[in-house]
Amino acid sequence: MEEKRALIFDIGRFRNTDGPGIRTILFFKGCPLRCQWCSNPFGLSPRRQLVVNPAKCTGCGRCAEVCSHGVNTVPEGEKVQVEFSACTLCADCVTPCLAGARMISGTAYTARELYQEAQKDAAFYRKGGGGVTISGGEALLQYEVAAETLRLCRSNYINTCLETSAFAPWEHLWAAAQYCHTVFVDLKHMDPERHKVLTGVDNALILENLQRLCRELPRRGGRVIVRLPLVPGCNDEEENLTASARFVSSLEGTPELNLLPYHDLGSSKYEMIGAEYTLDGVESRKGRDPRLLEIQALCQSCAPNTRVSLGGDAIQLSL
Amino acid sequence: MAAPIAGAALGNELRAGTVAKVGSTKRVQELNGMLHSNRPNVDITRARAYTKVYRETEGMPDLMRRYKASAEVYRTLSDNVYDYEQLVGWPTKRIRGANFAIELHAHWLAEDLPNLRDRTYDPFEITDEDYRELEEDLLPYWKDKTMAVQWGHYVTKEEWDRAQFGGVSDVSNYLCANGSHFIPAWTEVIQYGFVKYYEEAKALLAALDPNDPTSIDKRIFYSGIIEVLEAIRGWGERLSAACTRKAQAEKDPVRRKELEDMAAMMQRVPWGPATSFHDACETAWAVCFFLFVEGAGPSITWSRFDQYMYPYYKADIEKGILTPEKAMELIEEMYIKVTSNVWFQSTQMAYIFGGYYRYPHLDVGGLDENGKDATNELSYLCLRAMRYVKTTSPAVSIMLHQKTPDALLYEACELAAEGMGHPSFFNCESLYSMLEHRAGGLHGYSNYTRKDILKFGSPIGCVEPGAEGLQYGHTDSGIINVAGCIFAAVTNGKKAAGVDGTLCGEVVTYESGAPDSFQTFDAFYEAVKGQVKYAIDECHANLLICEKLLAEQFNLPTFTVLLDGALERAKDATAGGAKVNIGPTMQMVGFGTMVDSVAAIKKVVFEDHEATLSQVADACMKNFEGYDDLRAKLIAAPKYGNDDDFADDIAADLWKWFADCTMVLKMYRGHYCDAAIQMVQSNVGYGAMTGATPNGRLAGQPISDTMSATQQADTNGPTAAARSYGKLDFPAYTNGTLLNMWISQSELLAQ
Repeated sequence: MEEKRALIFDIGRFRNTDGPGIRTILFFKGCPLRCQWCSNPFGLSPRRQLVVNPAKCTGCGRCAEVCSHGVNTVPEGEKVQVEFSACTLCADCVTPCLAGARMISGTAYTARELYQEAQKDAAFYRKGGGGVTISGGEALLQYEVAAETLRLCRSNYINTCLETSAFAPWEHLWAAAQYCHTVFVDLKHMDPERHKVLTGVDNALILENLQRLCRELPRRGGRVIVRLPLVPGCNDEEENLTASARFVSSLEGTPELNLLPYHDLGSSKYEMIGAEYTLDGVESRKGRDPRLLEIQALCQSCAPNTRVSLGGDAIQLSL
Repeated sequence: MAAPIAGAALGNELRAGTVAKVGSTKRVQELNGMLHSNRPNVDITRARAYTKVYRETEGMPDLMRRYKASAEVYRTLSDNVYDYEQLVGWPTKRIRGANFAIELHAHWLAEDLPNLRDRTYDPFEITDEDYRELEEDLLPYWKDKTMAVQWGHYVTKEEWDRAQFGGVSDVSNYLCANGSHFIPAWTEVIQYGFVKYYEEAKALLAALDPNDPTSIDKRIFYSGIIEVLEAIRGWGERLSAACTRKAQAEKDPVRRKELEDMAAMMQRVPWGPATSFHDACETAWAVCFFLFVEGAGPSITWSRFDQYMYPYYKADIEKGILTPEKAMELIEEMYIKVTSNVWFQSTQMAYIFGGYYRYPHLDVGGLDENGKDATNELSYLCLRAMRYVKTTSPAVSIMLHQKTPDALLYEACELAAEGMGHPSFFNCESLYSMLEHRAGGLHGYSNYTRKDILKFGSPIGCVEPGAEGLQYGHTDSGIINVAGCIFAAVTNGKKAAGVDGTLCGEVVTYESGAPDSFQTFDAFYEAVKGQVKYAIDECHANLLICEKLLAEQFNLPTFTVLLDGALERAKDATAGGAKVNIGPTMQMVGFGTMVDSVAAIKKVVFEDHEATLSQVADACMKNFEGYDDLRAKLIAAPKYGNDDDFADDIAADLWKWFADCTMVLKMYRGHYCDAAIQMVQSNVGYGAMTGATPNGRLAGQPISDTMSATQQADTNGPTAAARSYGKLDFPAYTNGTLLNMWISQSELLAQ
């Protein structure tokens, strides 16, 4: 029987967010949520897709010449216009692009292959407690490969993290989470209705999974970190922040609350796949911005026994 | 706290000529401002002294003339003392001057003098008076006597053209930058002063037996050394008098006391033993610039400064006459002064090595002679001083090993995050292995003992391994542009038409086979290796002639006295006076370009059969005009630096091939040649002389830099690149390897 494969849209090496130390991040393709602020739109569709970066396009027209499906048209003196829906993913236009503006996003890997990718940087993990982080998209859509990858890494002494929305059947979540040193669960909004508007799905399953995970994972030697993406105008109102912090402090084992400031680095990726970024105009905040510190203080006051950290790179090695 | 000025912003400020007054104290800030308010300028003191002596000594032995000229330079060096200074002495009349070696530069300068003030790379200011003297008096005397001109008498016109800007196998650097890459015996000269060598030379001279035929040359040697050392003593006395004069004119009593102390210090050092940290710094500064004036090349190195200075630092701290802040202020002043040594180069060489930078070097950390971690307080101070003073020189570097304290590594990373290119990181394990085999030939060993290596071994600068007082040899000498070799391999020995340099469109190496004659990848690969070997062999033949000329005529007395055992051997540094003689060495440029080109041809031509080698050759000759499809395919082929064995295996093999071809070659002074890959900046100049290459690079564009992956070709991040580099056999490059990596500030600080 052929080994199961998962579709991966990026393997990021030498990353310092999403876990302690230097990390390799495996981005699984496909997600059941549609968060308005999503910074990884290539991870939304569970299928391979054409990506064209208009910023690199020089308008040379070579892609139009090689495509027999009329996907690419280049008006005189302008950049390429792409009809993404007509693309058959033949990839004939990728190599001829001298500007390097085109690629097919999504490559299928087995768990063993992913483990081998992670193993390459093992020498760099040692010092800061680095390792592998499985992210996405939502990796639990392909939970079998995710779980097997984490198992292989864990049993070969590589630090393991999983970043998930927790929007999946408990069995799928646990299959992967049981092998993790750290599981990051996103908490997007406490109000079910608002959650549905912002992400397209209900939050009941997420909250239930989160509570159960906080009970189960520490028994296996893992920890949970709850992440709150702070998206101005979406979920950073005082009421939601207070409710979120209180909820986190009520969880078993008092998991850390990690606040993730909003950034718009993903916005330019939308047009590369023919999609539209609906959250335009929201301001990014960085570092020790006063508003961020205020939010941190507010959350801390509602959850006095919880460690409330700020920024994706603030993750410490668990003890 | 005010935000520090970031390295890049500061660099722009300096380039724009705006004064950057930075440093840990007011004194350092003022000195830094003084340094940067001067533009690089030419000083003719040395040229004048050499001309005077050479005119007066016609008919005398070569060595005698050189030594007399060196002594005359010390007698005429500037005695300027400026406000705020604590260390005394300058190599030139004006700050940021170049007291250049007319006996190496006259042939090109005689023609190019009118352009010197506004040439594109490294323009120099010069006063009208000095200009006239050069033009009318000094240059006419020297222009047909330089080393390069004399070298020309030994080769044909065609050989000259190939070796001077043919752009594949080049010795032009070696003939105008001699007296370089040197670590003097710091520990000894600081501890005993020049007087030790003076007494030694006198005793050896007295002991000569005139009935022994070897005494004939020795007598000239020792007499010459004694004259030079007397001139050094005289220099100290002159500077002491200058301090006294300035003290007498000084109104501020605090500063007057400082100047009086400096006058007293100049009576002690560098002639005699240093008695304090301040004295030791003075000797270190004076010796450094003596060597920069006597030699014409780069990389006079402070080497393991934190080791030989520590006893003075510790003693002064214990006596209560020094604080760490005060010590750091002195170190910062040394950094400012050494930055003042600008490199004077021919217009051609400035095109390759532009930027005035003269590669002084300072190392911290490493191991001690017993193999223990050698880090001390000075190691930290040297790194921290650079964060304050932000000068380009010296290249501060850290010698890393398994026992390096994390705190020192973090201090080094804090400095790296300033974005100025400081510090360099050296791996002791590779360094020590290189020294063990330095100049020892393929599978051979150097003359270094384990103790020499542990106690005195350090990088010289840019990266060449050396040892304090034990090694001499000009290192970045023969240059092999392997991107030019790959072009020659696909085009049957040619250089591209329409690029820079000589012999464009003509055969520049040898005919290794027409492109359609290669039926297999292996056959083609042999031709690539053949081209590399041919270029190395040709370069070697040229270097031998250079070595002979230098040993006979380009003698260096100050270098010689600062070499352990050279006085007993009665041999000048250039004639083999050192315990370990090295160089000239073979430097490779364009490694990544060559590897990517071979990988692209292997993939596109011999595996995927998407083009023939003749088409690739034609495409390269035509700079890919009409070959966009082929170029795209070549660009898409695997590239070195991505942890991909397809390219990395080729890299590892060609890496070793270059070293193997080099290390079997015997040099003029009897040792073997060393391979290196460390030519900073030169990838731009050599790129301009190289046609389009099969990795998809267009003609004239920069080739890959040092041993790094081709620009923008390493797309899998720094860890993947590091793993690619890790597959190469570093210690095979016994003259050093250099890797440039750029990591964003936020990532570095976050780690």
